[in-house]
Amino acid sequence: MLVPALIILALFFGLPIVDLIRTSFTRWPGIGEPTFIGTDNYITAFTSPEVREALLRSVLLGVGAALILSTIATVLAALISGGLRGKSIYRVIWFLPAIAPPSAVAVFWALSVQPRSGAVNAFLGALGLGDTHAWLADPSTALYVIIAVAVWAGVGFAFLVILGAMEEVPVSVYEAASIDGASRIRQFFFITLPLVRPVLSMIVLLEVIWAFNGFTLVWGMTQGGPGNATSILPVQVYKDAFLFSNFGLAAAVSVVGGILLLVVGLVGQWLGSRKGADE
Amino acid sequence: MTRKKRVRAGTVVGHTGAILWSALALIPFALIVLLAFKSNTDIYTDPLGLIGVDWRPENFSEAWNGAPGGQGFAVYLLNSAVVTSIAIAGCLLVGALTAYFATLASTRVRLLIVRLFLVATTLPLIMLLIPYYTAFNALDLLGSPWALGVLYIALCLPTCVLILHSFYLGFPSELAEAASIDGLGRFQTFVRIVLPLSKGPIVAVGMINAFFVWGETQLAIVLLQSPSSRTIPVGLLDFKGQFASNTGAIFAGLTLATIPLIIVYLIFNRTITKGVALGGVFR
Repeated sequence: MLVPALIILALFFGLPIVDLIRTSFTRWPGIGEPTFIGTDNYITAFTSPEVREALLRSVLLGVGAALILSTIATVLAALISGGLRGKSIYRVIWFLPAIAPPSAVAVFWALSVQPRSGAVNAFLGALGLGDTHAWLADPSTALYVIIAVAVWAGVGFAFLVILGAMEEVPVSVYEAASIDGASRIRQFFFITLPLVRPVLSMIVLLEVIWAFNGFTLVWGMTQGGPGNATSILPVQVYKDAFLFSNFGLAAAVSVVGGILLLVVGLVGQWLGSRKGADE
Repeated sequence: MTRKKRVRAGTVVGHTGAILWSALALIPFALIVLLAFKSNTDIYTDPLGLIGVDWRPENFSEAWNGAPGGQGFAVYLLNSAVVTSIAIAGCLLVGALTAYFATLASTRVRLLIVRLFLVATTLPLIMLLIPYYTAFNALDLLGSPWALGVLYIALCLPTCVLILHSFYLGFPSELAEAASIDGLGRFQTFVRIVLPLSKGPIVAVGMINAFFVWGETQLAIVLLQSPSSRTIPVGLLDFKGQFASNTGAIFAGLTLATIPLIIVYLIFNRTITKGVALGGVFR
């Protein structure tokens, strides 16, 4: 009975990884026979400024979005677990952005930050802040808009998970602290945060991975442009393979980026599995 | 007295924050629906206006049928339905079987299965993209929604197995023992006793994965090359080009893509929230 699952693992996860590594040592335009070229693709990957910049952008998007959204999610979860009224309705509303398909999110926000016709600019215009800035066409702001959208879409999930962890803290702990005269704020910093720290670190790492790999948002909003301003690693891989027909290089970049993500992911899992182990 | 005041001030600040984030989460969806009914001219001159609007419900029929020479939402919806039903039926079937029979196996085998699937969940999609394309290309399956559905079975399987496995671990073994005394084989026990009793987590896992598959874009863009094979997420990106001069129709497409999902979510939000709590992941 366990055989089908093992076959699926081998066929859809094991074999493709072997194939990817094989492709990464060849020159292959997508048709015909690949030519073996040794480590050339890896040398290109490590020396090309394009790949290096794409990697840095991925890190900026990943770490930036993860830290901002985890902070917002923690504050929201603290409000709800602190007994703010309307818990059930807030929980439903805050998860809505996570429900929308990522590509719909990307198309909506891309249209909304258009000069004049976009709702965001119309709103800014109404506040007298000017409504003509082309946020996504300007290389200096495009990536920050994408980070903001990643935050908007990601808070809901992080909030639910962090709230779940906070609700596991026994009420008696807070009661004892109250009797000792600790204020709500102090209770949050000295009781809640240390107790949910394992879950929090796991969420931050997970979110880093997702945002780092946020192909859909970037492709849907800017296709990596203007120029290369928002070309993150998965977009770079996509362009190398499917636009420039350089599958060998794309495979090599995938291997390098993939191993990086895998390490971060395994650390995150390990942190998650230690939940409550240090209590 | 001052302490009371401080607590009250804290509550005000708390409510303000909560309402502010709620507005941020809700307003975009309201905007999508509002703009879906507006003419192009209105969107360009006064996107936020509610007065003197030239209402245009035709946007929806245009989005549904597509621009002349393009594919419409109707086609995308059908493809998405095919892909999602194959993916969810397959992964729940194989996932439940694997999870349950892993708990009956020896500890070594069980842990091996769990560890393999844990590694599989961490495997970044970026590493699978090119090999999948190569394979689909070689097998002449580019542009085949059902083949993509089969691929998604594999991608959903790890979460499925891991969540159900932790559920079956806590499953009382007395039930299975009683069934075997009654002369049921292992497989019959699974079908007649175990499956009906694990309906809750199975539905939760299915929901979480359905949302993932329904919105998956990266692989779909690469593997669904022909316009008539596209699923909703890929189709929406296509709409940006198709309706370059008809923004209202794009918003109508966005409405069709998001509002039904939100309705499903509102009906099943307990199940979905439970799925997330069980460790389900929206990717």
